[in-house]
Amino acid sequence: MSVKITMAAGAVGKELEVLMNQIKMFNKIYPDIEVQLLPMPNSSTARHDLYVTYLGAMTSDPDILMIDVIWPAEFAPFVEDLTNDYDYFELDKFLPGTVKSGTVQGRIVAIPWFTDAGLLYYRKDLLKKYGYDVPQTWEELKKVAADIASKEKINGMLFQLNQYEGLVCDVAEFVHSYGADFLDANGKVIIGDPDNHARLVKALTMLKSFIDDGVAPKGVLTYMEEETRRPFQNGESVFLRNWPYVWSLANDPKQSKIAGKIGVAPLPKGDIEGGRHSATLGGWMLAINRYSSAAEKDAAKKFIKFLTSYDQQLYKAINAGQNPTRKAVYSDPKLKEAAPFMVELYNVFINAEPRPITPLYTEVSDSIQRHIHDFLLGKVDIEKALKDLESELKMITGQ
Amino acid sequence: MSTKIKIKYKKKEIWLGFWLVLPAMLAIFITAFFPLLKTFWDSFFSFGLRPGILKRFIGFDNYVRLFHDARFMTSLWNTLIFTLISVTLEFILGLATALILNAKFALRGLVRAAILIPWAVPTSVSSQMWKWMYNDQYGIVAQILYKLGWLAPGTPILSEKWSSMMAIIAVDVWKTAPFMALLLLAGLQTIPSELYEAARIDGASGWKQFTKITLPILSPTIAVALIFRTLDALRVFDIFYIMNKSVETLAVYNRHILMDRAFTGAWFGYGSAISVVIFLIISIFAIIYMRSLNLKFE
Repeated sequence: MSVKITMAAGAVGKELEVLMNQIKMFNKIYPDIEVQLLPMPNSSTARHDLYVTYLGAMTSDPDILMIDVIWPAEFAPFVEDLTNDYDYFELDKFLPGTVKSGTVQGRIVAIPWFTDAGLLYYRKDLLKKYGYDVPQTWEELKKVAADIASKEKINGMLFQLNQYEGLVCDVAEFVHSYGADFLDANGKVIIGDPDNHARLVKALTMLKSFIDDGVAPKGVLTYMEEETRRPFQNGESVFLRNWPYVWSLANDPKQSKIAGKIGVAPLPKGDIEGGRHSATLGGWMLAINRYSSAAEKDAAKKFIKFLTSYDQQLYKAINAGQNPTRKAVYSDPKLKEAAPFMVELYNVFINAEPRPITPLYTEVSDSIQRHIHDFLLGKVDIEKALKDLESELKMITGQ
Repeated sequence: MSTKIKIKYKKKEIWLGFWLVLPAMLAIFITAFFPLLKTFWDSFFSFGLRPGILKRFIGFDNYVRLFHDARFMTSLWNTLIFTLISVTLEFILGLATALILNAKFALRGLVRAAILIPWAVPTSVSSQMWKWMYNDQYGIVAQILYKLGWLAPGTPILSEKWSSMMAIIAVDVWKTAPFMALLLLAGLQTIPSELYEAARIDGASGWKQFTKITLPILSPTIAVALIFRTLDALRVFDIFYIMNKSVETLAVYNRHILMDRAFTGAWFGYGSAISVVIFLIISIFAIIYMRSLNLKFE
């Protein structure tokens, strides 16, 4: 009996091509399952809006949803509970952080497809020219960036600090690297705790000083990923904080002026006791629509298992440059050849830190975005920004 | 006043008419009236789309809350400022353009078609295009402003509220002034040239001709053009959402409530209340314009 399933997935450039090939390979094993792609918009927010419309209306299509790591808690009531399929999907072989982001109150609702982590890109040639090592702390990074930038007359560092989800990712890395947080693991707002508060102030003041001291251009407050990748690969910045996708593009001599001159390292840690290197966990997962029929759900599981298998993750990593979620793939020699940084930075990917797991995430994130953006713009001072953020987060989470 | 014409129809014809009109009426009811009534109805409830949130009747509570919501008040204010400034500028520029295009000159047809290009580009595309041109690193508009010394080099245009607002208004004017010009040009062409000839013979100056002939005859067209633009401007969404969504208009804030918060809590009724407020504000403007339009006809 043949089944037709629909899948909502990113469908831009290489991603679409790779997925189409994967469907062909899948059909060799399961000729009776037809997979139809529902291409989703490029922007994550636009995808979220579409899913809200589909799931809110309780339609049975699409059967498979490609969801951002921050959505499982919000979409949990609308997607299939996969807790009993833990062994079927071999989740014990996955990076634990990615499995955790698909777990909501002990229930598994989404399977990790590919993962992302914030990385520090740097100009190998420039660091060598001026005799610097890769900086280990934010303080060091600022000094090195400022020095090289002034001599080369380019930017020192680039972040994504437009008022959008990316700001939360960049800010979370700073905050975590100083051993601080906005919410604790149980979702409690801890901004006011004295030790944590002091660390938050240090972390955020440090971030702002990058802009105030001219190490990062003021424009970072309006940049998203692509607005930082372009100047970097045009040779207009010493450092860049961005996701793994930049690697293959910035190393493509057809479009990049600095191909072959790029290094990747873990982001620096905070200059404080208990500071650590931190990368925000990103990436996408696959979930199954609760309102699909039993036959469709069954077929969907088979397809998800196929897509997240060892061979397919390796294929996707090599051809689409998207990081595997299975641990073993990272020691595959083929991956080392195609994307050496993935293998070298395995520790960054395995230790990437999730953003708060709460069904209220979109509201929490919106609140962080507005208050921290206002602080970075210089509209409010740090004390007021944190105080307002604290009371708003408490209101949102009902504490 | 129109004269009433009485025609006697046969019963059969009345029924035929009824059946012919019915599909259109049904379509309008389903696509326009039903959603409107449903939104009104929903605005009196507290509910969300997450399973387990009970729908509760709360009367006017959503509306009371709205006016204590600083974010809503800011977005209301932003919308009104945007509407006032952009429509005024578009009207002045549009009228000037229409007057120029109404004169006879070589290649007039080509110029008339060419000015419509900004209007023909989809707003989402032109917003993104302008966003790039405003970029502090590689944007041409930003570089010109820095070179002229109007802005300190490196100042991001789309970060501060006021510079964003002005930049966004500039794009809106660029985009819709041609539309305004086209509407007004159509009005200008209905003015018979004999009127101007007679005025010239009587020795009326150009300004006098403009204020005594052009403006009065053009006023119904002006009213229609202003209604179109004002109503459009009041529900502005795409240009702000793409260029700088931190400067919120009513529609941008409403998207946040209805989409980002659809599954997070009981916000759907609140979002409906915002929709109703947008509807009411637009209605007020529409009524004001209609009234002034009627007066002109009498």
